[in-house]
Amino acid sequence: METRIGIFLCNCGGGMKNIDFDAVAEKVARMPGVTCVNLVSHLCLDEGREKMIASIREENLDRVIVAACSPEFKEHIFRQALEDAGLNGHLLAMANIREQCSWAHEGDVTEKAVELIKMATNRARLLQPLERKELPVNREVLVIGGGFSAIDTALHLSRLGLRTTLLEKEAVLGTGTGEWQSLHGFDNSSMTAAVEGDRNIDVLASARMTAAEGTIGDFTVTITREGEEISRKYGAIVLATGFRTELAPTSTLKLRTQAEPISGISIVSQEQLFHMLHNSIVEAKPRTIGFMFDFSDENSRFPTLTTLNNALAAKNKWGSEIYIFCKNVKVDSEGAEKLYREARECGVVFLKCETTPRMSMDNGRVAVEARDVFLGEDTVIACDLLVAEELLLPIAGTETLSSLLNIRLDSRGFYQDENVHLYPVASEKKGVFVIGWCRGNLDMGRVLTDISSVVMSVHGLLSSGKILVEVERVKVDPQKCVACLTCIRVCPHGAIQLVRVDGDKEVAGISDLACDACGICSAICPAKAIKFQGYRDEEILAQIEAIGES
Amino acid sequence: MNGCIVAFCCEHSAYPAADLAGRLRLHYPESLRVIRVPCAGRVDVIHILKAFENGASAVLVLGCEDGACHHITGNTRAKERVKYCNMLLKEVEVDGRPVAMFNLSPNTPHKFVRAVNEITKIIKESGR
Repeated sequence: METRIGIFLCNCGGGMKNIDFDAVAEKVARMPGVTCVNLVSHLCLDEGREKMIASIREENLDRVIVAACSPEFKEHIFRQALEDAGLNGHLLAMANIREQCSWAHEGDVTEKAVELIKMATNRARLLQPLERKELPVNREVLVIGGGFSAIDTALHLSRLGLRTTLLEKEAVLGTGTGEWQSLHGFDNSSMTAAVEGDRNIDVLASARMTAAEGTIGDFTVTITREGEEISRKYGAIVLATGFRTELAPTSTLKLRTQAEPISGISIVSQEQLFHMLHNSIVEAKPRTIGFMFDFSDENSRFPTLTTLNNALAAKNKWGSEIYIFCKNVKVDSEGAEKLYREARECGVVFLKCETTPRMSMDNGRVAVEARDVFLGEDTVIACDLLVAEELLLPIAGTETLSSLLNIRLDSRGFYQDENVHLYPVASEKKGVFVIGWCRGNLDMGRVLTDISSVVMSVHGLLSSGKILVEVERVKVDPQKCVACLTCIRVCPHGAIQLVRVDGDKEVAGISDLACDACGICSAICPAKAIKFQGYRDEEILAQIEAIGES
Repeated sequence: MNGCIVAFCCEHSAYPAADLAGRLRLHYPESLRVIRVPCAGRVDVIHILKAFENGASAVLVLGCEDGACHHITGNTRAKERVKYCNMLLKEVEVDGRPVAMFNLSPNTPHKFVRAVNEITKIIKESGR
């Protein structure tokens, strides 16, 4: 059967003055297979769409070309119009004659517009309809971690009616949250109690994930607890493993071995100082305290907060003289600017240094030698207590988890935080989410935002128990596939697995749920066995052939 | 299509950048023909060579910035393929037909225009 192509030209209400639409209509009407050409002034508005739907029905069209604005904008509207007219939405091709033709050039561009429409028409001839189908998904969620963000996420999800499992490697929940509790005023015990009382939340403590396979909606996870293996199925996995801190290696460690923590003089970590301030009795109040941060690691949003909080607490409790050595104070987190002002007002001295200060033990005190960039002079300050710079590092086991789930780590070893194209809590693998401190250096406000967004995303995905997907958008031809595994290796979303067809032949199979439609596999397949509907080789080559035809 | 420049534009970065260039009325040579691809990694050697076979004077592959590819590795794969294409073209002695890969993000229309102008300059210098 011959294709019946309908072309819809939209002049955007006269927004494209350098295109002669009548000439375009006349020229494109002569192309083979073109049944009708319609000139509309606002195709994206209701009346334009109605006209389009009527025309598709009247002329019995089976391919539609829309020559208008960029597909980035309105493609979904026109697709919907096709669906409304009873045609598959994937039988639409758009020619971008506004942004990339009329508006991008001066002078008459009628010729280019005609050519762009020809390119789209050539592609449209080869387009094939895509079916949509609802696939069932498992409604259970696995949250890995036992800290604040993990517990809070589990509580939220449970309230929304999704069964959740909390997987914690320690024996009890909330062990890693010590420093934060008082710092941010949340109570650990009430949260863990809430988890215990929640019948929708299952806690697996002293347990680890040892294997994971499957894709969104259908993950099979093997959990090892006290030597025994449990296999469970989940629809989504949320990673909320947090971070750990370590004293920066810059000469601090060497000194640290000489210094006795807490009693008398010492070099301490933020957490130790916190305990000195709040929990233990200190015999001799330190008269001078030095803080250091932002030298080894510039991602110091969180260290800035802890430093300011602890410095203020020390000032109030002990009345010590406080010197803060840092490169920059980063006050972009909520409340940090206020803390900074308070600290300045009560006499905390900030010394901005470009290089890490030199430290030496001097008569039981720590002498810090730094060059202040504003004074331009070397300053030596003898501190009774030095709070060393801390590095924020991913917790042990992050690498194992990332390789089990097949998601990548950034240059600092955290879960994907550098890729600006991924939404904050999403990972490159659909159905695996990363939230809180394990994806980078956040403050409390940002962690809360993470929790809300992950709860929304997971709920949106799993709540109905099924997901609507386009079936076989990217498809492997089992006759051509030789199971060379190239596509399985290159797929950035882990969507391809070996599947068995006709008895015992194994070929690559693409999960419609997990596929993100990038087409990397179809470009790399040596046997050309993978077809990406809409962007098949034929469709791309047909567009190229149309260039300069006239 | 004598003298045309074919640009394969990733729909996550270069394509919106091209749109934005239009919206800002940043002008570039009319000979540019954009082909929208879901990721620069979708562009295969055959697509680039076909463009030359049809008489294109240059091919651009435009993808996301390094380390910011929506599909993680698509832009690096495209870069490798562009390199391979250049090698092929050299081997069959059709030098002087440039294939170039540029990385940009969706909010950098100026970079898009600069890429087009750069390749146009190269074509002019080689006298094609």
